Amino acid sequence: MQKSTRLGPFAASLSLAVLGFSALPAVAQAPKDSVTICQTLEPPILDPTGGAAAAIREVTYDNVFETLLAYNGEGRIEPRLAEKIDSSADGLTHTITLRSGVTFHDGAALTAEDVKFSFERAMAPDSKNSQKWIFAPIDRIEARDARTVVITLKSFAGDFLDGLAWADATIFSAKSADKAATEPVGTGPYQFVRWNRGDRLLLKRNENYWGKKPTIPNATFRFISDPQAQVAALTAGDCDAHTNLSAPEAVPQLRANAALRVTIGRTEGETIVAMNNSKPPFNNPKVREAISKAIDRSQVNEGAISGFGTLIGTHFSPNHPAYVDLTGAVKYDPAAAKKLLAEAGFPNGFSVTLRLPPPAYAQRGGEIVAAMLGQVGIKVSIEPVQWAQWLERVYRQRDYDLTIVAHVEPLDINIYARDGYYFGYNSEAVKAAVARTKSAKTEAERNAAYQEAQRLITADHANVYLFMLPKITVSRAGLTGMWTNWPVPANPLAALSWQ
Amino acid sequence: MITRALRHPSFVVGLAITLLVVLVAVIAAFWTPHDATAMRISARLRPPSATNWFGTDQFGRDVLSMLMMGARNALLVGVVAVGIGLSIGVALGMVAATREGSLLDEAIMRICDFTFAFPAVLTAILILTFLGPGLVNAIIAIGIFNIPVFARIARGAALQVMARDYIRAARAAGRTTFGILYRHVLPNITGILIVQASVQFALAILAEAGLSYLGIGTQPPNPSWGRMLNDSQTFLSQASYLAIFPGAAIALAVLGFNLLGDGLRDVLDPKSKER
Amino acid sequence: MISFLARRLVTLLTTLLVAAIVIFGVTEILPGDPAAVMLGLTATPETVAALRTELGLDAPAFQRFFGWIIGFFTGDLGISYAYRVPVAGLIAERLQVTLPLALMASFLAATLGITLGALAASRANSLVDSALMASAQVGLAIPNFWFGILMVLLFSITLGWFPAGGFPGWETGFLNGFHALFLPACALALPQAAVLARLTRTAVLEALGEDFVRTARAKGLNAGQTLRRHVLRNAMVPVVTMLALQFSFLITGTIIIENVFALPGLGRLIFQSVGGHDLVTVKSLVMIYVGAVILVNALVDMAYGLIDPRLRFGRGVGR
Repeated sequence: MQKSTRLGPFAASLSLAVLGFSALPAVAQAPKDSVTICQTLEPPILDPTGGAAAAIREVTYDNVFETLLAYNGEGRIEPRLAEKIDSSADGLTHTITLRSGVTFHDGAALTAEDVKFSFERAMAPDSKNSQKWIFAPIDRIEARDARTVVITLKSFAGDFLDGLAWADATIFSAKSADKAATEPVGTGPYQFVRWNRGDRLLLKRNENYWGKKPTIPNATFRFISDPQAQVAALTAGDCDAHTNLSAPEAVPQLRANAALRVTIGRTEGETIVAMNNSKPPFNNPKVREAISKAIDRSQVNEGAISGFGTLIGTHFSPNHPAYVDLTGAVKYDPAAAKKLLAEAGFPNGFSVTLRLPPPAYAQRGGEIVAAMLGQVGIKVSIEPVQWAQWLERVYRQRDYDLTIVAHVEPLDINIYARDGYYFGYNSEAVKAAVARTKSAKTEAERNAAYQEAQRLITADHANVYLFMLPKITVSRAGLTGMWTNWPVPANPLAALSWQ
Repeated sequence: MITRALRHPSFVVGLAITLLVVLVAVIAAFWTPHDATAMRISARLRPPSATNWFGTDQFGRDVLSMLMMGARNALLVGVVAVGIGLSIGVALGMVAATREGSLLDEAIMRICDFTFAFPAVLTAILILTFLGPGLVNAIIAIGIFNIPVFARIARGAALQVMARDYIRAARAAGRTTFGILYRHVLPNITGILIVQASVQFALAILAEAGLSYLGIGTQPPNPSWGRMLNDSQTFLSQASYLAIFPGAAIALAVLGFNLLGDGLRDVLDPKSKER
Repeated sequence: MISFLARRLVTLLTTLLVAAIVIFGVTEILPGDPAAVMLGLTATPETVAALRTELGLDAPAFQRFFGWIIGFFTGDLGISYAYRVPVAGLIAERLQVTLPLALMASFLAATLGITLGALAASRANSLVDSALMASAQVGLAIPNFWFGILMVLLFSITLGWFPAGGFPGWETGFLNGFHALFLPACALALPQAAVLARLTRTAVLEALGEDFVRTARAKGLNAGQTLRRHVLRNAMVPVVTMLALQFSFLITGTIIIENVFALPGLGRLIFQSVGGHDLVTVKSLVMIYVGAVILVNALVDMAYGLIDPRLRFGRGVGR
């Protein structure tokens, strides 16, 4: 019915179109009672404990959902739903006092039972939580009274409280947790309104929020994956901000635009060329060293992301105090690389496959890496894969030679100690160092262990360490409060305001 | 016939364009202004100049050299994909024609009809996800869709030829079915097959460009026009020339083969009307 | 007549069933475990197994196939692996973009193609005719995604008249939605318009040669009246048929064009769900696309059979 009646106006507006669309009002200036934040990827679902996608956290963390502790924009952890946490001297018992007067968007009050429910839901055998290690040390959870939760650990875990600040430790209400994937109900400063899949998601201010109320009543997340469309939307005023622009080459052009502000920040994304360490010829350290020396990291940085990345020499974030600058440890030297290959028994090089996941940094970086390896005689054939196949073939089945990927989780150097991890890397020394980061009782002790692990993996040329992915934030002049760095993937809207 | 052909504008223009594309592809096999795969990151996104006539891309590669190599790629796709369709399709079509009305004929034609129900691009996306993206698999996917086209045409044309008296005579003289098909039927349907092959060639170039544009066809560093267009979209406001040249190359090549096909149809069969 | 329709109906249903089996079979053997994809890097095998059970992936293939077929009648196509919402709802949401886009493109192509084709025929062998037919050749050769990119370059980036991509949603106003779909519809319409222009010209020229046209002219109708009253009406049969058959090209065209303009339509959904390994969504979407093509072709076939009885025993409309 509707379709046939629509043809009338269709035809009418068509002639209007031919007459010239310049007559239409230009895109309206965003009214000050709303803000439109654009981001590259759309979350598949909205429950941060039901999937690993960073986009879920970018939309919901500290907006719709809250955690007991939370990361701020500087990467420090501050209390959120927990008013205070008392830990026993042996670090095994944590007594958590909840803030008073916190309610969920459906009106239910936050109680200790909700915390117990949320963590037990995350720990359950059928849970889809992607960071179960957070809850692994828990022995039991007790709701002592409405505002007090006591968590007892089986064994000491230095990173247990840090884990409570992750989105994977989100606090749900038992009543609404099952619908969190599509109709999220949380305690955060904004509540869910509507989701037009493939395009945008609408939020509105939580008028009963326990903390400082946001100044902007309505917020919209728009999802634009095409780099050119991102630039166009910013220029046209369709977006008030883009959280991380995919078109680094457009930065000079956007900087020249007086209506926009561009900041280059950091993420926790160590971007690496991963090598299948257990598979010949990569099981030969000389081959791995040759590959490391054949790749000019600053050129990859320049060509893939216009030089906005921070070069690294190991699998660790420069944002962390334990970081060791090893960027000088491996120098670009194709002649030495050729020599090493000859010594390893490959004077004429060999052929490998480079499997690339979809993001632009991997696709573009991969083309450059392939060309550079070609210069020292390693013939690289590029095979783009969707995330599904990457996870299945590269990550799960370890069926790959080389791949490029950014490891975005903070402090993830412990993956080098994991048996069966897709790097195929195995070092007793690294395992010991990583174990010490868990058992360390002091900050200094833990950092020393982290530093040892960094030096070990770089000396082994476990992978080629390229750069930290940048966060290119573009916002409309007058909008303040956007995070410059991404210590965790998040875009807290409550801090935003119009000047 | 040749003089008539040379007076037919579509044929002449089509032939000229086609020869130009072939010539460029042949030259590219021996010489390009620069190495089409050599990167110079420091010289990236340079607009057209005396050293790089068509500018450089996001890695500082020479666009003209890439376009020339791309011509080779486009012709390769056309030749192999149409070749697959011609060889298998014509064989199936002629077999179906000799067994007209049989279960085999019915089965072949039903499968052809069935294939037409699957939108080509959609199916190619599925095939390439299944087999993995890449030039070879893209050619296979495009080739598969050429099979029913040629099977139908070959069957129809063969049936017409086989109804003629001299075929009946040959049959009466004890010639084998294969002998008749090879000696009498095939030569008589070559014209119509060439016309269709020219049109399918153009479609194959378009299809490969589309798949490579979606990122699942030809893979780098092998230059492909569709892939170049895909990359160009990211740099549209910084380097619009990157979007102009590869698209023009696709359009020119497709135009050439389409015109050639139209011209050939008129020349080989003056009675048939242009459709 | 009845037996003709019944036969065609049986063929139609068999084709649809075979298509369903093929599509289901292919999605069964595609590599990659959807549960593993959803859970990402750090999921444990137990977690993956739990999700597999929840998604109903443990049931035998045979059982899932029939569940799926029945779903097309009950509107329950399962829950999307990626979005965790009913697939039917997702599809209905995306149709709001793709259907208007396809209709707009058809309308543009038909208006442009038929007008220019008729114009060329009425001035047959003149300079106008040659110019129009040469343009049609060029229109056929230009890849529609390139045409889309060129229009973005001119109308969005240089002139700023149209958005470069995206779709604001119909709820923001009809004009906004229309504004976002106009360039994509033009890009889609170009090759179709070229095909229709060529076909209309041929059909009109053929009709002009028929006896009744000469009679009409002899009766004193002027050229314009003749064209409108007699020629176009007769020439329209093949043109309208072609328009229907072009549907198949049009909907595959939307897959690429929606990617050029980042439109949240069916085509983009299918591309994303293939990439995201959302097989529940993929198989239903492919079935809808293929089913639509089969249905349109069958309807054209039947309509032809009814109009022209000679075709009832042949192989349908084949060219």
